[in-house]
Amino acid sequence: MDIFKLRKDKFADFLASLGGYKLFAPQKVGESIRFAPVTDAGKVELALANTTVPPKSIFFPQTETLYRYALGNTEMHPPAEGEAGVVLGVRPCDARAQVIVDNLFSWDVDDPYYLERRKKIAVVGLACNKPCVNCFCLSVGGDPASTEGLDLLMTELDDAYLLQPLTEKGEKLSQAVAAVAEAAETGDLDEAEKLHRQAREKINRKVETDGIPQKLPGLWDDALWQNTAASCLGCGICTFLCPTCHCFDIQDEVEGIDGRRCRMWDSCMFKEYTLHASGHNPRPTRRERTRNRINHKYNYFVQKFDVIACVGCGRCISFCPVNIDIVEILRQVKEAR
Amino acid sequence: MVDVEKLKKIARETISRDDVRCLIGWRQGSYGFRAAPHFVGKPEEADQLIFSPLCSHNLATYLTLAEKLPVPRGQEPDTRKVALLVKGCDSRAVVQQLVEQGIRRENVLVIGCPCRGVVDQKKVEAKYPDMGAAVTADWGEKTVIFNLPSGRVEAPREEVLAGKCMTCRYPNPLLADIEAGDAVAVWGSDEYTDVREMEAGDPRQRWLFWEEKFSSCIRCYSCRNVCPMCYCEDCILDRLNPGWVWRSANTSENTAFQLARAFHLAGRCIECGECERVCPVDIPLMKLNRKLTKEVREKFAFEPGTDPESKPLQASYRPDDKADFIL
Amino acid sequence: MCNNANPYVPFTATIEDTWFETVGDRCVKTFKVILDDAAARANWSHQPGQCAMVGLLGVGESMFCISCSPTEGDFLRFSVMRMGKVTQALHELEAGDKITVRGPYGNSFPLEEWKGKHILTIGGGIGQAPLRPIVEYVQAKLDQYAGLTMIYGARTSGDLCFKNEFAEISKNDDLTCHLTIDLAEEGWDYNVGFVPSLLMDVNPSPENTIAITCGPPIMIRFVLENLKKLNFDDAQIYTTLENRMKCGFGKCGRCNVGSLYVCKDGPVFSYATLKDIPEAFA
Repeated sequence: MDIFKLRKDKFADFLASLGGYKLFAPQKVGESIRFAPVTDAGKVELALANTTVPPKSIFFPQTETLYRYALGNTEMHPPAEGEAGVVLGVRPCDARAQVIVDNLFSWDVDDPYYLERRKKIAVVGLACNKPCVNCFCLSVGGDPASTEGLDLLMTELDDAYLLQPLTEKGEKLSQAVAAVAEAAETGDLDEAEKLHRQAREKINRKVETDGIPQKLPGLWDDALWQNTAASCLGCGICTFLCPTCHCFDIQDEVEGIDGRRCRMWDSCMFKEYTLHASGHNPRPTRRERTRNRINHKYNYFVQKFDVIACVGCGRCISFCPVNIDIVEILRQVKEAR
Repeated sequence: MVDVEKLKKIARETISRDDVRCLIGWRQGSYGFRAAPHFVGKPEEADQLIFSPLCSHNLATYLTLAEKLPVPRGQEPDTRKVALLVKGCDSRAVVQQLVEQGIRRENVLVIGCPCRGVVDQKKVEAKYPDMGAAVTADWGEKTVIFNLPSGRVEAPREEVLAGKCMTCRYPNPLLADIEAGDAVAVWGSDEYTDVREMEAGDPRQRWLFWEEKFSSCIRCYSCRNVCPMCYCEDCILDRLNPGWVWRSANTSENTAFQLARAFHLAGRCIECGECERVCPVDIPLMKLNRKLTKEVREKFAFEPGTDPESKPLQASYRPDDKADFIL
Repeated sequence: MCNNANPYVPFTATIEDTWFETVGDRCVKTFKVILDDAAARANWSHQPGQCAMVGLLGVGESMFCISCSPTEGDFLRFSVMRMGKVTQALHELEAGDKITVRGPYGNSFPLEEWKGKHILTIGGGIGQAPLRPIVEYVQAKLDQYAGLTMIYGARTSGDLCFKNEFAEISKNDDLTCHLTIDLAEEGWDYNVGFVPSLLMDVNPSPENTIAITCGPPIMIRFVLENLKKLNFDDAQIYTTLENRMKCGFGKCGRCNVGSLYVCKDGPVFSYATLKDIPEAFA
């Protein structure tokens, strides 16, 4: 597949060529940057290391209607099918995370809401030239220029973007802008390769994750969990901002006789997450919940799907109000006897 | 001024007491300009304590975040004290918790740390970006000193301190069993300028402002969980039967959540600003809370958390209370 | 599995009959329901042990074990204890009312594997609900099993479920039924005492026997201890677990016990599997 070079002053043309799709890209929503539908190409923000809320919100929206109904009536109406789309500016860690989450949403039973979006929405990635201080993708099988889960990979050069299609969908997207782009030359490819290499070198956070899934069961009663959980506030920041977290609640919302059953993000760090109606809670304190969270990502998910459910994006580290640091936790697991 | 070595000594002595269960302070964070809450159970763990402009956390929240599990048969409940390091604003939270009887005086040992301001994470990270290595900090004369890998830098305090610190009237703890340092001069005053600006604005614009902010809320509940005054065991905003506020994260429900919480804090918010600090999507929550604290100050001449002998605002009545809003 | 291409959309069902099993604050009400859609009815196939998400539009859904054996007929039974939002709403319903049903979910008791063995069920209170389908199934196919013993107890005689079926069971010579209540009551002629103690009195031989237990956690703990005292192997002991559930088919993430999802890897588990999972006995 042909690799193109698109001069930066033609980037708006690229976005315009995607006009037939529902386009999502990082933009300011409120005070922070997250993926949102693009209405004004000038508002697209690609400079930040990464968005606050990961692009999982496009495939797995924070709140979505499962079906509507009217009280007194037993008919249930799922929403109409969505349109074809493109989510642009996805960092390789987040794209990889989506592939990891695909495992869950297609495990034995297909989740139609999520999988339909995965089928219809192409993913255009943006290689990381400047990883953030808390990135540790290299430690969990990722890379600042990984192509996993991407239809097309962009690399930002000095005055242009390299567009590297990776799938049929990606090729279709790059062909659409071929008229205003140039064929990439060896020099361009070399420059991109150099940027990718430099990005790898810039990643400071490293942790050896080999053997962690096997080590965790033996640390079930370790003081590590209580020590970590002591300062935990029990909020949902780490889980909501994590690109591989996928847990949700299902609730009924009724106004008058119009109702809907919807699902919304939930967090294993909330006390109510596992609370039985009888009042019994199998994970009654933050210690059990913290232990469960790390085990789920680094042990249980590995047992089921043979991959660590963490892509090293570093958001949980950057946004945890009390500086609970997963890299520190993993280091303690690794060093524990 | 707090001498950190003296503070550590106080901490070691305190945790060695039979009647103290644990001591909560701050330690250096794992990267950049972070500190982290530090739980000391043994004297040697006190060596990691710091007290610097990085110590933003209001540790008073841990007094009410403690999880009460059923006591196993044959065991007595642990009634030993929790020793807590507090800055000025933090001490107001402890006072207000005592006033509301959310905690008992005999269960807490307060170690007062007069404070000259804590940093605003975002301001500092914007000024000194890409800081991976952990940075230590200290107070200078109207400045904040950072020990960057590249060397020592000094920044004017107004460029790096949190907004709340620039208007701080209570830098010295209002309650302390042990003073860890000499009192510092009060250098801030608060005319609620930010709130007045908002009040003077066009109502429609003000609504659009908040609508934009509330629509970006992701209902992580970090603001509520970090708040030292939010400690209801059965929070009304978690209740689903009846469901006062639905869990779906849309503008309507998010607005209900934020306004309900703000009103539940009226007369109780001690303006520590933690809610705004922790919000991952930078909703300016202090504008909301400070509107209500300004109302409370103006209407009832009341400041929560300043007088341990006071009664909670909503639970007391004075004959001279302003009643001009009652028709 | 369930419904069309969309596993979240339930079937509707009509309550054919409903009655109270117990009285009091946390009373148990049984619902006998028929799926409305003929094709859904025809395609439905469940095995003892499996569960279904039952609910009401506008209220919510909860997971309940399907408390009947497929050998009983073309209907579903659920025994619901009144606890929270959904169960309170279900308890308001009468025959003719509609509910929603999704399922069947989860694994089932390995009744094929157990052929030729003696089946011993040990239930407490509402814990008899997932065991009832085993009792019904084995009774219907008794020639394929070595025998059937039922031990069932509750706090009081009023707390025993399926009382209307005891008379029938007692007529059956191939089934040995032991009932017990915690404290003596006037008019109660059977055993008095806790279920784990009755188990020791019954003193079942572990030889070629499978024991399945379900009930309050404290009862399960002592039953397991006693079954080990009676020399039952870990692989001969089964139970069903429950947890808070929302999706019912392994997506929402919350029902895990260690690496196992109760809705998919369970709810039926052998003690051999559970004993190495610390979270199983939380």
